[in-house]
Amino acid sequence: MDNLKSDFVPAETLIKMYHLEQYVHVILDYTSRYNNSNSSYYSPFNLIGKYEIYPFYGDYPETYFLRSYGTWWKKSDSCQSNYRPQDFDPLGAEDYVTVEFESAVVPRDICIYETYNPGAVVRIWGKLASDTHWVLLWRGHPQQYPSKSRKFHPKIRPVNQLVNVIRLEFNQSHLQYHYSVDAILLGGFQPVSDLYYNMMERGLFFLKKPEEASKFSDMDKYSEFFGEDYFVKLPYEVMIHIFQYLDLKSLCRCARVNKRWNEIVNDPFLYQTLSLKPYWYLVNCNTIDYFMKKCTSLKKLDISWCGNDIEGFDKKLAIFIGANCDTLTHCSLSNCKYISREMLTELSTCRNLVDLRLKNVTNCFKLDNPSLQYLDKLVTLDLTATNIEDGDLICILKENPNLKHLIIDLCEHLTNLDIVVEAAADYNPKLTCWSSWKTLSLTAEGVKKFGKFPLMKELDLGWCLINKDPGDCLRYIVDGCPHLSRLILSEWRGLNDHLIIPLIMTCKELTQLDIFGIKNITAELCEKALLYLPKLRLLDISFCDSIRQDEVEILRRQYPHITIQRSCQYSSMNYLN
Amino acid sequence: MMHSLLITGRLISRAIWNGLANASQTADPSLQRRSEPCLVSAVCGFSKDRKIQRLIKGQFGDDAWFTAKYKTADVLGVADGVGGWRAYGIDPGEFSLHLMRTCERLVKLGRFTPTNPSELLANSYYELMSHKKAILGSSTACVVILNKENSTLYTANIGDSGYMVVRRGRIVRKSEEQQHYFNTPFQLSLPPPGARRDVLSDRPDAAAQDNIPVEDGDVILVATDGVFDNLPHNVILNELLKVQGERCASRLQMVANSIAWMARNLSFDETFISPFAESAFANGINTIGGKPDDITVILATVAI
Repeated sequence: MDNLKSDFVPAETLIKMYHLEQYVHVILDYTSRYNNSNSSYYSPFNLIGKYEIYPFYGDYPETYFLRSYGTWWKKSDSCQSNYRPQDFDPLGAEDYVTVEFESAVVPRDICIYETYNPGAVVRIWGKLASDTHWVLLWRGHPQQYPSKSRKFHPKIRPVNQLVNVIRLEFNQSHLQYHYSVDAILLGGFQPVSDLYYNMMERGLFFLKKPEEASKFSDMDKYSEFFGEDYFVKLPYEVMIHIFQYLDLKSLCRCARVNKRWNEIVNDPFLYQTLSLKPYWYLVNCNTIDYFMKKCTSLKKLDISWCGNDIEGFDKKLAIFIGANCDTLTHCSLSNCKYISREMLTELSTCRNLVDLRLKNVTNCFKLDNPSLQYLDKLVTLDLTATNIEDGDLICILKENPNLKHLIIDLCEHLTNLDIVVEAAADYNPKLTCWSSWKTLSLTAEGVKKFGKFPLMKELDLGWCLINKDPGDCLRYIVDGCPHLSRLILSEWRGLNDHLIIPLIMTCKELTQLDIFGIKNITAELCEKALLYLPKLRLLDISFCDSIRQDEVEILRRQYPHITIQRSCQYSSMNYLN
Repeated sequence: MMHSLLITGRLISRAIWNGLANASQTADPSLQRRSEPCLVSAVCGFSKDRKIQRLIKGQFGDDAWFTAKYKTADVLGVADGVGGWRAYGIDPGEFSLHLMRTCERLVKLGRFTPTNPSELLANSYYELMSHKKAILGSSTACVVILNKENSTLYTANIGDSGYMVVRRGRIVRKSEEQQHYFNTPFQLSLPPPGARRDVLSDRPDAAAQDNIPVEDGDVILVATDGVFDNLPHNVILNELLKVQGERCASRLQMVANSIAWMARNLSFDETFISPFAESAFANGINTIGGKPDDITVILATVAI
């Protein structure tokens, strides 16, 4: 590993220390979950304590599940594009979970007990709960691993810092199916004496030598080597053109070359888009100050994952957004827990906003107090796992006739989704993508309203009608939305072959069909779906108990170009003992 | 004769295995040293079927049970899966087992309020709905929580399983049966879609809640209807008297075994006038003998 230093002296060899091994104590933050927050099945809280399922392998509800897998979600029209493609994460982290352990230790071992489709961890970070500075403990490319549970035990960077908060970053885009983790073990050393403990906690122990000096001397060598700077002879416009392909880190380095470069690098033209998500661990109030000077006509801002636990960040960000409110068209604030109602008011002044993403911003909406009411140009709105309520959402729908993509997955405060669908049918005829996965208040009456969206292409109604009677709901969808390409009907347990046939016969554009958890459908129906849907690429039939595994194998062999998902189901014996 | 002896032997060894697995948890000395109240418990039970289908911890036939501990509370629970679902191709034991398993997990994760057992039951029930695998069926349930903070027992009961608290030789509290009509208890259910209209389903908040302050040495019996339908109260009481103030898990286990064993024997006794037969008679049904049913006994004493 790159940062292995030969002169590293482990703290435990110098002072007396205990060895501690501990499992997760508290869950602090997460970006992805497979279930509603009040449920413990599939939830991040399953990481707490010792592993329960490991060494078994399979689709167990007692572990933590990530919602997405593979590239299926990225194929959706509503998926967020990278606002600044040159700033990307080379390891492609898509989600993270942050956990806290009871005692702070100098980390030596981290074990991750993966129980389903292992191989998604790409980075491990550590810090003290009282600190805001993250230390990278491990990073590596996502791995392909056989379908077995595994205890992932990477060799982590040797550091002499106390750590009690761990963040795992996941990239599950290469996995065949959902990824699940059972537990995380942190092993390490803790000083026996309180004095040493306190010193380490404050970073007064093992101070690093400053290494900057040597780098400067390198720089001198380079300038000697290059002699004259031919670049400055290029016209300003050409240099700007070249520079606009550079990522933020390179731009910062360029700014240090000479005055001329510095001047060009500070040109607001280069900062029309800003994507800080890949640098979330570096972002603080100073970052915003830094860009405040440069950004005068910011169009797209992605500040997802950034600024949590940083004091005063919310106010800085509000000023920053306020300063760019006339030009801002895209804004992504996923997992920014500090977003408050005041911030939304600030956002509401950005009249040109087209794309707004507030995924996992859990507490920004307030009862009886409409937010975002001045926005009227929205095309995409992602409110996954927010606390938005029916009335508020309907107001937004009324004001934005151009809305195309609406994502309201896991919105537990939407208590009457039927009237929301009705409002959308009246005011938003251009909707092409509707996702209300696990927003449970939808009933058959509401589903029938989906017949009024002729342009609808992607419809995610998974888990909406659990144990409710789907009756002829599907018929309305089929008749109303002939261009459907993605349809998620997971756990519509009342469906059967007979009710799904019209869908297969009518919606020929379907590429993804998710009908998992429906007991009554048979292999015969699956075969029809595979045969009659020419564009089909994904068929999820996990937990369809009437279909036998051998039947699935035959279908897989017959249709190798189609991914047929079938969850690895446990036999009740090993599961329950 | 030889055959039945063999089966009996197997049944006993299974009961002991189940009990011991539990006793080893409760006999943890560090828990007994502390001054705060806790429950010492033992479990025994039998499946109605004489043949042994599967051996799963926490299950006797269609009955299921759990015991769990958390910092603030000790929790016991039993559930009795409604057998009628077998006709629909649904394993009645699955629902009750998952219900109890989920209760156990919620307790271990601390996601419960020690003063609100019916909330625990309700949350567990709603959890089952979010299981990817459709867990169908219905079940009665009884959950008892000892809140360590105020040494009070909080109980929730839905249907005809139940509990009984005995102090100094007297029954101080006992659950009431909840029945729609004779032999049809209140039940939590997740029916298969389509069959729902004619299915009895009570909301989890229909559970009868109660609480009672407990004292050191109190005996708590939590059991399914297989026990209460077959053993008259005075017989149960006589057994419970033997373990008042008992802190030794293995002696508790012996009494739990004997209660379960008696209930089982009487359930197959065709001449015995069981409480079930009396109740049937009161409802105008002329029957005699025990009621063959799955039997689960959780016996606990309060140690303060």
